[in-house]
Amino acid sequence: MSRRTLPWLCLLLAAGPLAAEPHPLVIVIHGGAGVIEPSRMTAERAASYRAGLAAALDAGYAVLERGGSSLDAVSAAVRTMEDDPQFNAGRGAVLNHDGIAELDAALMDGNGPRAGAVAAVHHVKNPIELARLVMDKSPHVLLVGAGAEEFALEQGVTLVPESYFVVPQRLKELEEARRARTVPMRPPVPQGTGTVGAVALDRAGNLAAATSTGGLTNKHAGRVGDSPIIGAGTYADDRTCAVSGTGEGEYFMRQLVAYDICALVDYRHLSLAEAVHQEIHEKLQRTGGEGGVIALDPRGNFAMDFNSAGMFRGMRDSSGHRVIAMYRDAQ
Amino acid sequence: MSRGETRSVYAIAIHGGAGALPRAALSGEREQRCRAGLSAALDGGYAVLERGGSSLDAVVAAVRILEDDPSFNAGRGAALTREGAAELDAAVMDGRQQRAGAVASVRHVRNPVELARRVMEKSRHVLLVGAGAEEFALEEGFQLVPNHYFRIAERQRQLESEQRGEPVPDLVPPGTGTVGAVARDAAGNLAAATSTGGLTNKRPGRVGDSPIIGAGTYAKNGVCAVSATGHGEYFIRAVAAHHVCAAVEHRGLTLEQAVHELLHQVLRGLGGDGGLIAVDRDGRLVLDFSTEGMYRGARDSSGRRELSIY
Repeated sequence: MSRRTLPWLCLLLAAGPLAAEPHPLVIVIHGGAGVIEPSRMTAERAASYRAGLAAALDAGYAVLERGGSSLDAVSAAVRTMEDDPQFNAGRGAVLNHDGIAELDAALMDGNGPRAGAVAAVHHVKNPIELARLVMDKSPHVLLVGAGAEEFALEQGVTLVPESYFVVPQRLKELEEARRARTVPMRPPVPQGTGTVGAVALDRAGNLAAATSTGGLTNKHAGRVGDSPIIGAGTYADDRTCAVSGTGEGEYFMRQLVAYDICALVDYRHLSLAEAVHQEIHEKLQRTGGEGGVIALDPRGNFAMDFNSAGMFRGMRDSSGHRVIAMYRDAQ
Repeated sequence: MSRGETRSVYAIAIHGGAGALPRAALSGEREQRCRAGLSAALDGGYAVLERGGSSLDAVVAAVRILEDDPSFNAGRGAALTREGAAELDAAVMDGRQQRAGAVASVRHVRNPVELARRVMEKSRHVLLVGAGAEEFALEEGFQLVPNHYFRIAERQRQLESEQRGEPVPDLVPPGTGTVGAVARDAAGNLAAATSTGGLTNKRPGRVGDSPIIGAGTYAKNGVCAVSATGHGEYFIRAVAAHHVCAAVEHRGLTLEQAVHELLHQVLRGLGGDGGLIAVDRDGRLVLDFSTEGMYRGARDSSGRRELSIY
């Protein structure tokens, strides 16, 4: 009994009159981590990426501002980036070995927790919305391939042809990758337009996370990375934190990066920033994996950290902070 | 007592699924068949350890035997989707470098656990699904089999009664679920493997926890290896297998405590049932479940050998 009431008393004493205040509103997004050599980045391209990130950030924040849920906010932000051909998700996703965009997405509601995910879909315009339907309208968490698209049709989702997703830049990258006869872990430069994701905290104190991706250029058909795997690339728990990852998916999967960050917060009582730092700069670094995460805790503390050259990212909160950055020096 | 267990140099545990299997529904003949199947898998895996083989080889050997046995819901004899096809998932994880491989939604691979191992060893990926996974199988020289290889009359009847909305007849105990194995070899390496046909009458494309690293399958040297069975969606949301290992690693819980907390607090709290088998760094085996029963077996180098259902 006393173990339960004591922390509350401390919190009340420490927070004082603030205790009755609603939770801060926070949204953090990423548009992928990877080798974005600053030298390859023209001013024009940089401006365009920033505009894309800004649109997603503000679309998600607008949901929070009008009292919407964190789940709706992360969906809105991710959907905006799925529709933006600059990012590796939805339209403009990278192409697999067969020249097809094969898409994965997941989202998780920290209140429940509930989760939904889809993988290896070819004809769903906004995979994040299908992941949401899996969560809301099916008893399942993960649906893949043709079965996932059958479910989409049953739910009244309009399918689009494979060509909808294909943009010239990705075709060029696939050609380069095929010539190199490799599955590049880091897509060919110039780009770091990877996986997209968002985490958010709403007025009710609920956390949510969402991630969407086309995966790796020239990937084997059927390859599924960390994005749609709950605990690997996407995780949210109202008690601890919400995380969305981007990077070399296989490393994130073996290490359960997103869940592990929350476990470090929960079990080791690390601050969110410390947990993220340890996960990315110690654990992931040690295994040789590259990438980054965005993370958010129930008090509104956030982290945007990576061990790659850069990570497209942004954050906005109700105390007026608004940041959009691509490289380490917050440029 | 615990010192005696710690001396155990190598150990293996297997499961053949957890579920609500009323004792009355399990005929003597069926029980015998299931016990014989478990026994063969347990000893098949143990033999690998005994001759100095790796825990990875041992868990794959045990799971392959269960996949080939039509009494269990994996490989031949798997549960059927609502369209009457077998759709199989499997994963394997090697605790040494935390390498992992998995396949989901494959329909023509005789031993999905073998393909999962191949994904781990011959691709740079962890998870391949559907037709792409089968393409990889062909590239790797696997011989594909027609889907009817997996389908047996009992599963067909089970599907039909499920679709009629009737309770599953007692000739098919619904508890014959997912199969899995965990092992510690003499070198101290941990490994886990899981294979399943998923839920009877499932939607095509539905993937449960078995092939999800951290949910139904996980292994990390120095910590533990876990294979789970049960209500897959709950195990995914709880990141169940990794939860157990994280509780051991970060909080210093014993394996028994960590498993108990997961099954009886975390999953119970979410409304999910199931069971899991686990082995820790010292070769201590834990086999626990929140359902009425779980087909299971344990054997280690201290001479322990057990097969149980309830």
